[in-house]
Amino acid sequence: MHILAAEGNPVAVQLLPLVTTVVVFGIAFFILSKNVWPRITKGLDDRDNKIRDEIKAAEESREQARAAQAEYESSLKEARQEAAEMISKAKNDAKAAADDLRQRNEQELADLKQRAQRDIQTAKQQAVTELHSEATALAASIAGKILQREISVQDQQRLVEESLRELQPLK
Amino acid sequence: MHLLAAELNPLGHVMDRNIIGGPDALLMGDPHGTPIVTMHMLTLLLATGLLLWIMNLAAKAITTGPSSEGNDRYLTRGRMAQLIEVITLYLRDTVVKPVLGEKTNKYLPYLLTLFFFVLMNNLLGLVPLLDLQHIVGAFLGDSHFAVIGGTATGNLAVTGGLALIAFLVIQVHGLRELGLAGWAHHLLGGAPWYLAPIMVPVELLGMFIKPAALAIRLFANMMAGHTLMATLALFGLMALSGMESWIAGLGISVIAGAFAVAITFLELFVAFLQAFIFMFLTAVFIGQLSPHDHEHEHAAETAHA
Repeated sequence: MHILAAEGNPVAVQLLPLVTTVVVFGIAFFILSKNVWPRITKGLDDRDNKIRDEIKAAEESREQARAAQAEYESSLKEARQEAAEMISKAKNDAKAAADDLRQRNEQELADLKQRAQRDIQTAKQQAVTELHSEATALAASIAGKILQREISVQDQQRLVEESLRELQPLK
Repeated sequence: MHLLAAELNPLGHVMDRNIIGGPDALLMGDPHGTPIVTMHMLTLLLATGLLLWIMNLAAKAITTGPSSEGNDRYLTRGRMAQLIEVITLYLRDTVVKPVLGEKTNKYLPYLLTLFFFVLMNNLLGLVPLLDLQHIVGAFLGDSHFAVIGGTATGNLAVTGGLALIAFLVIQVHGLRELGLAGWAHHLLGGAPWYLAPIMVPVELLGMFIKPAALAIRLFANMMAGHTLMATLALFGLMALSGMESWIAGLGISVIAGAFAVAITFLELFVAFLQAFIFMFLTAVFIGQLSPHDHEHEHAAETAHA
């Protein structure tokens, strides 16, 4: 017990260290509040906000990407549909054009054939007529020479008609 | 014999001693004078200096860097800074915010300063500064030579000073938040008016007992831990010097040493725990004097009493 007394009483409170503590703590508080806590709080808050902002931005861009994809898909679908329409239209057009062409060709061919036939007919008739008149003249001259006389116009007419009748089947 | 006895007193490690002025002081020693500078005052200053230095470095690492660093400026580099950051974040978001709510930012600087101030002093007390100086002193002829060291928070005057600040913060907060009438009403503790003769003295006493309990809790924990450690360490010395067989003495000192190591780890934990409790209870007491539901607060009070 003697030693303890010599060393002093551990629960005795001295004013000096107490006041020192208050002052030192006050100074520490002042310096830390000015210099340290605002910076630490700022660091923590900035990072919090940064992370929150980044997550928000990521969510937004994901949403945007989803919308863009939907839009892209719908436009792709539209384009496909359009392309299909265009193809079918082109096909129809081509078919129509081909039909038109064929029809026109046929028409033209038919016209050509008709004209050719008509030409042939005309040429034939002309040839027959020419042959006819040639034959008539020939016949008349032969007959004149044979008869050594002039055939009257009436005779001649009659002869022509007779000859024509004979030639009729040639037509 | 007196020297050995003094050496064997485990309280030698926890007691304050006069450095300048007062009995047994190193400088201007005067058996009847008053101390001017004591060892714990110097330890307190050393701890505060270290605290300011470390916290400044940590703040530099934790705060948002220049924008030239890109996204790396949000990173905290360095283990010490990360440790401090994790503690700060935990104290702010998990401990103080649920207790103080929107008042958190107002009291956070004080509460964080309190926590780290106490923690730094507790931890510095675990550094065997005294013993290193004793070794130096042994060569100089005074094996008790020491200028600085010991656990400042193992001194009731130091914890008392911290409690005094806590008391002022709590009561000033209460008066400002509740007003004089609200503050007076709080002395009823939520009981009907006719219980005032019982409640008012109890609450008035409680006003002083709460911070006093803070002071005594911290002081007693630090004091007891270091006394226990010193006692264990002294077992070896006692066994070696007192026993006939040096083998038995060696055996005892090895066992005692192992226990002292284990207790040192416990002390490390207690250093954090007591700093946390001091700061947390201060936050709770501040929260109790805030103008919101009384029932809840007093439930919390009894839970922590």
